[in-house]
Amino acid sequence: MSTVIASPSVRAAARRQGVNINELARILDRQHITLDDLNTKTDQAPTAGTQAMSQYWDVDHAQYGKLSQSETSKFDRIAAANLSAANALIPQVTHHDEADLSAVEALRAKLKPEALAQGVKLTTLAFFVKALAVTLKQFPKFNASLSPDGETLFMKEYVHIGIAVDTDFGLMVPVLRDVDTKGILQIASEISDLANRAKNRKIGPSEMGGASMTISNLGGIGGTAFTPIVNPPEVAILGITRTRVTPVWNGSDFEPTPLAPLDMSYDHRVINGADAAKFMATLSKTLADPRFLLV
Amino acid sequence: MTSSVDLVVIGAGPGGYACAFRAADLGMKVALVEPRAQLGGVCLNEGCIPSKALLHGAEIIKEAHHMRDWGLDFGQPKIDLDRLRGKKDEIVSALTQGLAGLAKRRKVETISGYAKFKGPNELSVNGESLIFEKAVIAAGSEPIALPGWPEDDRIWNSTGALELRTIPDQLVIVGGGIIGLEMATVYAALGSEVSIVEMSPQIAGTADAECAAILHQTLQSEGIALHTNTRVTRVQATPEGIELSCEGQFEGTLRADNVIQAVGRRANGNKLDAHLAGVEVMENGIIPVDEQCRTNVSNIFAIGDLTGNPMLAHRATHQGHVAAEVAAGHPAALDTQLIPSVAYTQPELAWVGLTLAEAKANGVVHKTTSFPWAASGRNLASGGGNGLTKLIYCPDTHRILGASIVGKGAGELLAELVLAIEMSATLEDIALTVHAHPTLSETIAFSAERALGTLTDL
Repeated sequence: MSTVIASPSVRAAARRQGVNINELARILDRQHITLDDLNTKTDQAPTAGTQAMSQYWDVDHAQYGKLSQSETSKFDRIAAANLSAANALIPQVTHHDEADLSAVEALRAKLKPEALAQGVKLTTLAFFVKALAVTLKQFPKFNASLSPDGETLFMKEYVHIGIAVDTDFGLMVPVLRDVDTKGILQIASEISDLANRAKNRKIGPSEMGGASMTISNLGGIGGTAFTPIVNPPEVAILGITRTRVTPVWNGSDFEPTPLAPLDMSYDHRVINGADAAKFMATLSKTLADPRFLLV
Repeated sequence: MTSSVDLVVIGAGPGGYACAFRAADLGMKVALVEPRAQLGGVCLNEGCIPSKALLHGAEIIKEAHHMRDWGLDFGQPKIDLDRLRGKKDEIVSALTQGLAGLAKRRKVETISGYAKFKGPNELSVNGESLIFEKAVIAAGSEPIALPGWPEDDRIWNSTGALELRTIPDQLVIVGGGIIGLEMATVYAALGSEVSIVEMSPQIAGTADAECAAILHQTLQSEGIALHTNTRVTRVQATPEGIELSCEGQFEGTLRADNVIQAVGRRANGNKLDAHLAGVEVMENGIIPVDEQCRTNVSNIFAIGDLTGNPMLAHRATHQGHVAAEVAAGHPAALDTQLIPSVAYTQPELAWVGLTLAEAKANGVVHKTTSFPWAASGRNLASGGGNGLTKLIYCPDTHRILGASIVGKGAGELLAELVLAIEMSATLEDIALTVHAHPTLSETIAFSAERALGTLTDL
């Protein structure tokens, strides 16, 4: 006997709607399923409000011209439901800053031959990951998760960093474990391994989830700023866009300086604006002077 | 002549006709193939309904007899076997004619004969071909004939027993399941000296042991000899009667004028050349189906007894509706574990859901509660004897997991508990539901109250 409690009429209605009642109970995290639960749709359960509003854009597009249509993939739908829930339920603020990468780039150039000799392509992203880990160690509130009812804050003693990877079948976020204990070459090597496997859909469930924070790096593509959406249960996400060599006044001269724009969206229920500004200042400082990576 | 239909249903028993009628109501062109002259299958013609007519007679005889203690003596009943048989046949015939009318009104074409498959979309009846888009196999089951027994028309199966040819002085029934027990009840009331031989330690083997024991005692006190843990090792037909050598708890020879074999039923799955349509049939005649009643061939369904145990009409009816709806493109399924069982004995024995033995065997966390009918005012005032209402429930959630009732009208009372379990009702749900007083249904509420510690009637 299934552990879901639902009357025969509810079970029949679920069958008519093509809803797997066990799955629904799992999503809603409870045992009793009623007709009301079925009527507030299945895998978009947290976004019932947006569902209702989206009726306004239920439009016959063909009346305006020729078009084609295709089904969204299951993968896309799950991502859509999660993003909608995150956007609807979490009060988010995005804080912008920039980091001087002169020292990082100099260090990277110096280490590159050594890395290549070990078969590792040393990317700037590896420095961002390490710098973020070092910063998280100093700001425990950013390495935290809020319980769904908002009554408990879990503070993590580990530092795992998620890397958003764009793949042919959608966005994936593999997670690097225990970044705080790893050296820059190992981090670089693990990033390229995870990213390659993500693109080939060869990532196991144990290699996703549980991150302290996620990095969404658009630096290789372009842009000057964006507002990433927090990936719950994490409380913050770091966005990176393209580094630009910018003239920076050093007091006597304009110096050509590579500046990386950083955008961090955070859950305002957990983090306030001053903390976010301090966090970003520390991250920028760490990147500007990689000796802080050792601290 | 070749005709073609959307759906052909093979067998017009309670599963088959329900399926055909439902499919017709859903707009399909339906043919119903049945070898009997009347619709209704075993249930209506030689099972549920005629046995209930005879059991009603038996009940009246017994109740009248017990009324002597109340100062109401009706004397010995005069039994006119021809009229009793006639009454039974009249009831059956009224019902089967009613069914024929229902079929006609729905424009379900009834074809008389045995159906044999030719392929996944064709079968033949009486040499004529019938093309179908979908088929439902509902050809039922038949009584198992024990191997090695002599051919003798004094040996009956359930069908023969219900023909009521004679009232034997001495009747032996082999098999203490529901059918055997009901036949014992009928013939004992009509005056036969009845013995039941049952191989297993308990009559009504799958029922709750405590409730079955109450039925056992009552039948014994009515003069029926019950030999459990006993095997028939040899059967001899002599001019004087049938002699059965027995071993086990009862050792010796039983002599009988007539013997009823009631050791179960065998599925008819392999009588239809179903393999020619590609349908998988197991050696025991059972056709495996999924919860949508589909066989391994997607346009061919099977329902009722030939899909396995429990072989009960109400299961077949529900499967029939499911098969019809699925065939018509609806997402139906037989989505329940709850098929109630009822022995229409005197007293009746009825149960549903988890039994105590199953709970123990499967390690299900459970508790039981019960209410003895000796404490039920309505039972005593109605001349009822021993009885028990017993619930099995989950001690954590108080949800009802199973129920057994033995007593007068137990089969009717059970319905409340089937619904309760389907609705995941708890002890509180039942206890807080007002049951009319004085009724036997109160025993259900009392059982729940007893478990909750709120009972004031015990």
